[in-house]
Formats: sequence, C-alpha cells, structure tokens
Amino acid sequence: MAQNVRDVSTTEEVTSTRRVIAASSVGTLIEWYDFYIFGTLAKIISEQFFPKDNPTAALLATLATFAAGFVIRPFGALFFGRLGDLIGRKYTFLVTLVIMGGSTFAIGLVPGYKTIGFFAPAIVFLLRLLQGLALGGEYGGAATYVAEHSPVGQRGFWTSFIQTTATLGLFLALGVILIVRQTLGVETFGEWGWRIPFILSIFLVAVSVFIRMRMSESPLFVKMKKEGKTSANPLAESFKQKDNLKMVLIALLGATAGQGVVWYTGQFYALSFLQNACNIEFVQSNMIISIALLIGTPFFIVFGWLSDKIGRKYIMMAGMLIAVIAYRPIYTIMYNDANLKNKVEVVEKKDVKVKNAVKGADSLITTITTKTFTDGTTFKETVKAKFPVNPALKAALPKDKLKPETKKEVTLPDNLRYKMIGLVLIQVIFVTMVYGPIAAFLVEIFPTRIRYTSMSLPYHIGNGVFGGLVPLISTRLVEATRPGPGLPPADPLAGLWYPILIASVSFVIGSLYISNKTNNMDA
Amino acid sequence: MSAIKRIFGIVWALMGVGIVPLVIKQAMKEIAAKPSEENWIFWSIVIVVLMPIIAFSLITFGVFALKGEYDTLEDV
Repeated sequence: MAQNVRDVSTTEEVTSTRRVIAASSVGTLIEWYDFYIFGTLAKIISEQFFPKDNPTAALLATLATFAAGFVIRPFGALFFGRLGDLIGRKYTFLVTLVIMGGSTFAIGLVPGYKTIGFFAPAIVFLLRLLQGLALGGEYGGAATYVAEHSPVGQRGFWTSFIQTTATLGLFLALGVILIVRQTLGVETFGEWGWRIPFILSIFLVAVSVFIRMRMSESPLFVKMKKEGKTSANPLAESFKQKDNLKMVLIALLGATAGQGVVWYTGQFYALSFLQNACNIEFVQSNMIISIALLIGTPFFIVFGWLSDKIGRKYIMMAGMLIAVIAYRPIYTIMYNDANLKNKVEVVEKKDVKVKNAVKGADSLITTITTKTFTDGTTFKETVKAKFPVNPALKAALPKDKLKPETKKEVTLPDNLRYKMIGLVLIQVIFVTMVYGPIAAFLVEIFPTRIRYTSMSLPYHIGNGVFGGLVPLISTRLVEATRPGPGLPPADPLAGLWYPILIASVSFVIGSLYISNKTNNMDA
Repeated sequence: MSAIKRIFGIVWALMGVGIVPLVIKQAMKEIAAKPSEENWIFWSIVIVVLMPIIAFSLITFGVFALKGEYDTLEDV
C-alpha cells in the first residue's frame, strides 16, 4: 500500500502534513510574488528599459516581454519536470526557487536604457525568461510534493493551500508596490523606488530556501526509487505514449486552458480594465483588487475541500460556465459605474490650474483640471505639454512630438468603490472554483513516475500561454474597435471575447470528456 | 455518450485545422493594412506560439476522441 494511503488522524501526522504544506506554500508564494511584480510594474519597466519615443511600442514591448515570461514557462515545465521525475521533487523545486529569486533580484539592479542603451532591455528580457523557466518548474513540483504527502480523500483540501499562493503572490506584489510607492512618493518611486520590490525578493527567497532545505523527499517518490520504478525518460513516456498523451491533452483543453483565462481575467484583466478603460486612479484600483483578492482567497480552500466530497470536475466546470455567462454583465456594470457620461457634474466645483516651467531648453506647461460629480466621483485630468522654448526648434518638430501627455484619473465614492470590490470579488470566486481543485485533479490523472513532467506541461501551457496572453490579446481586441487614433474604443468590453471563447471550448471539452472520479494515485 | 464524444472529435479536429488559415489570413490582412512594429510583434506571438498549440492539441485530441480513446472515461 502506498505510503500516502494512511490514517492521518494522529496529531503527529497532521502536524507533519501541515509543515509540508507551509514549507511548500511559502516558497511557491514567493515565486509568484517575484513573477508578478514585473507584470504589475509593466508601465514603469517600459519607461525605464525601452525607448520612450513611441509609448505604445514601449508598452507592447513590455507586454511581449511579459508574454515571453509566460511562453517560456512550458519549457521550464519540461526541463524541471524531467529532473523532478529523475532525481526527486525536493531538490528540483529548490533549484527553481534560487533561479527565480536571483533573476528577480538582478532585474532590480539592471541600469536603465538611458545608461546602458540596448543592453538594458536585452538583459531584462533574458532575466524575464529565466523567471519564466523557474516558475515552469516550481508549481508542478510543489503541487506534486504536497499531493504525495496528502492522504487519500483529502488531496483537494491540502493542495488547495498551494493554489492560494498564486493569488496571495499577486496580493503581496500589489501590497509591497503600494507601500513602497506611498512611502517614497510617486516621483521617487518612478525614478528608482520601483527597484525595491525586486531587490526585496532575495531576502524572501533566502528564508524560503532555508525552510525547504530542511524538508524530506516525497514519500511516494522515495518508495518508487527504492523499488527501482522511476522512469528512465519521463519526457518520452509522458508525451510519446498514447495513454499519457491523451491525458495531457484532456488536461490542457478541458481544464487548464479555461482555468488560465478565467484566472487572468478575474485578476489581471480586471485591474487593467479598471485602470485603462475606467481610468480609476492607481491606488484606488489596486486597493479594489487587493481587497477582493484577500476576501476571495479562502474560497480556494473551500472549493478544494468541496472537490474531495463531490469531485473536481463539477466545480471546475461550474466555475467556467458561470464566468462565461457573467463576464459581459459584470464588466458592463463596472464600465457604466465609472463612466463620467452617466454622471452629473457639479459645475461650480470645477477647478483648473495651469503651471508653467522651463526645464533646460524645454518649456513645460501642466494643466490640471479637477471635476466633482453629484454622486461623489472626482475626476482629475493632467495635461503636460512639453516643447522647446526656441520657436524655430518648436516649428521644426513633427506634430506627434508636440502632442501633450494626458493622464485621466477617476476616484470613486465609497458606495461605488464597495460595489467595484464586490464585482471583482465575484470574478475571484470564479477563479477559486476553477483553480482550487485543479492541482489535485492534475496530480491524480498521471502516474507517480512521470507526474512532475506530465502535469507541469498542460498546467503551464493552459495557465501561462492561454492565460498569460489575456492582457495582450484582450488589449488588441479593444484597440481593434477604436474608430481612429485618439478616439475612445467603440466596444471597451471587446477584450472579453478571448477569455469567453477559450473558457467556453474548455467547458464543453471538460464536461464531455473529463471523469469526475478521483484517482487513488498509487505509485 | 461515447457516440457524442466521437462525433465531437470531428468538430475538434476540424477546428484545429480551420484555425490555421483563418489566423494567417487575418494576420496578413492586418499587417498589410498597417505594417507597424506592434502589429508584427502581436501576430508573431499569435502565429508562432498560440496557433500551433491550439491547432496541434485540437487536431490530436479530436483524432483520439474520434477513435474512441476517451470512451472509457465515464463519470456518471
């Protein structure tokens, strides 16, 4: 009988399982934190490391780097998954943690484009690839390790703690960024303060490595190794043998692809939508997401536990279906609640301030317009026009170089802020439904000898590629509805079609082909 | 249930085959209309990364389903 199939009713065994969960979760949480500070600071990174001449290209370049971080994840899954099935889970996910921490720390130290030119974006790009590679190896290892320590019938519950780490990692990233930004001030944060969240990572990783070094190897892997049953070639066994390949495909198309898009829509796209489509002020938008994430996180454990009782499939499929149906209505309410066209301005409270300054050979005119609305919403528009003081030089510049930089910020009153938190929370609940049970589902459909390799690939293609591309593809879909440069998009909700389509296909495939039965996961 | 699984196998395989010319045609159309750097980056990611994954996985999955490889995975 496999070692995990045991009675864990004794206090000692429960304590031991809890220690395994805690040690695995802390490391995985830090890896997610490392990974997400890059995405969350995409705009600043774009300004620091990519040429400023074309802001759209710079932002897209960052998004591409962001996507590269995701696209490389399946390769990390293959590389480290193979190692994990050959030499063991413990040492493999220890290595991924060190690579991740080192890369994140290094990003915080890379000089900007102004200092070292093209080398800056090139180095950042390479470090981002290393981050993706490390994350590709981490998650499968942690999920496998915890599942192989968990008793039968409680695997959904115990692995759900690993599932909370992705959201908590994002929460931690947002929290650290907000605290540093508020402490240093917006300007200093933009100049060098943004480096602190990256540099901080090295201390977090050091603590996590220390904890993980003290952990023992997975009991199922130890048993299998002792019996000489480990796979000689996990890659070939996982993807060349039809019986395993068909499970890899069903895991990808019927579960992880849909889960990936629901995950990214509910968390990253929601933040991007609040900031770019609704123009919600930076701190308020981040607070809305952070509070929703914090309230929603325990539901990962609730749905993980519930999946032990009623099966993984029903919960994951319900999450996808409800998300597909509810996305458009939810985002319509979010957009309308922040849309100034639906509000009545208190005209007498309008305030316009103009500041003139000369910086070197340039003249900078800043116009700040503040408007207040009857429902308590405030709107601040900052227009910065920069041009050479010398009229001849000014006349020689092309029109697009003279175009003023405009920043719009909407601050919602308390009642609408709470409503926004509620609307994001609903999306986080969808995330917990599809993501809470998925680690247990993935580890249970593959045998121990190739589990790390086999489960890592569909997870990282689904979550990393299908999910990770949500910001890029959704932004593009919205842009396609823009009637002309400078005009608002005709359909600001068009970006939702990508997650809706992928989650719909995943729902149909998952409902038809995935089994709701729980596998005993014997070696 | 097995018959439905098999019939849908044809749908998945056809979707996998159909997505390739659809994406390439759209990419060519948009790049020709506006050959900007951002257009090239976007379509390169879609064509090199996303499209092959979708096409390969849907076609292979569809063929497996059509052959009845998933008939035994019952849950009710």
